Amino acid sequence: MTSAAPSRSLALVALFAALLAVFGLIPKIDLPFGVPITIQTLGVMLAGCLLAPRQACQALLLFLAAVAMGLPLLSGGRGGLGVFVAPSGGFLVGMLFGAVATSWVMRALPGQGPRRLALRAFAAAVAGGIAVEYAFGIAGLVLLAKLSPWQATVASLAFVPGDLVKCGLCALVVHTVARSVPDWSFGGRTAA
Amino acid sequence: MRSLYSDRRTWLHAVPAGAKLLAIAVLGTAFFAVDRPAWLAAGAAAVAAAFASLGPSVRPALRLVVSVSLAAGLVALFHALAGQPEVGLVSVLRLMSASLLGVMLTLTTRFDELLDVFETLLRPFDRLGLKTGRLALGLGLMLRFTEHFFVQWRRMDDAHRARTGRPGGFALLAPLTVRMLLTARRVADALAARLGG
Repeated sequence: MTSAAPSRSLALVALFAALLAVFGLIPKIDLPFGVPITIQTLGVMLAGCLLAPRQACQALLLFLAAVAMGLPLLSGGRGGLGVFVAPSGGFLVGMLFGAVATSWVMRALPGQGPRRLALRAFAAAVAGGIAVEYAFGIAGLVLLAKLSPWQATVASLAFVPGDLVKCGLCALVVHTVARSVPDWSFGGRTAA
Repeated sequence: MRSLYSDRRTWLHAVPAGAKLLAIAVLGTAFFAVDRPAWLAAGAAAVAAAFASLGPSVRPALRLVVSVSLAAGLVALFHALAGQPEVGLVSVLRLMSASLLGVMLTLTTRFDELLDVFETLLRPFDRLGLKTGRLALGLGLMLRFTEHFFVQWRRMDDAHRARTGRPGGFALLAPLTVRMLLTARRVADALAARLGG
């Protein structure tokens, strides 16, 4: 399905950027250190699982560009250049690399059929949506909030359980998609 | 979809968007390069004064400023507890000034002005194969879809409530995503027909 035609790709990219924004419209819960818990990162994981790496990258770039230009698309109606230098700024940049990493892992893992695809999606979401995302988020806390790496890691670990739940949700969504749209190319790979 | 832009004209509205972006880039870098608390405090005071000079136009952003201040307060508290109040002061001054600069840009610059600057900045990449014209189309599509899917989400939530008496919550995620993917295909076909490939 994922044809190389740029206008087809553009529709997908814009749609996933919109999905990220819709997930941001759902209310957030604030935890210490100004890092909110939201399902916006679920959008990052889904973009990674359902798009090719290049498209996932473009979708996130489009979304972050709209945020940087001041549209209140981040959860809680935040937006503008200011949010990139707030303590949680690293997690924003991490969204981009997290989505691309998720897509790479999704594409690299073997297995077809809804159940296998769901397992692939879970593994990809843990790798991209947690490991890579947190690496950038923690680096951001160290650079922007001047916490020590140890403090930043401890502060961030509080969010891992919630994000593991999101990885599970992501796998469930991929499972449903695999059954409803069997010819979708997960991670940009054509289904056998 | 409402932007954080404020319609009430201020002196900063008259400054070209490109100049404001440049000023933010320079000042932002300066704030992170300097680490003497006294200099940072002077800079933060200047930024705060500029912010206050915008008057009542800052109202749409006040919630944002409050949430950044709370986050900054927590960072300061953390450093104070760790026995390094000075590091805390420095990072709070930096965070607050940088955020206020960003908020000021957002409040006083229209979305299409920023888009123009973006397209101008990206123009050199045109030769490398990046289609800058597509950026505007992509942003437009994205905003339209955001509204569309938010309406769909609420409609599905209402339907779920009518059937079960409970809000739909996470049960709606998968159907919403499937619906979105199918819409994506239809729109992709329409775009391909319109733009030719």
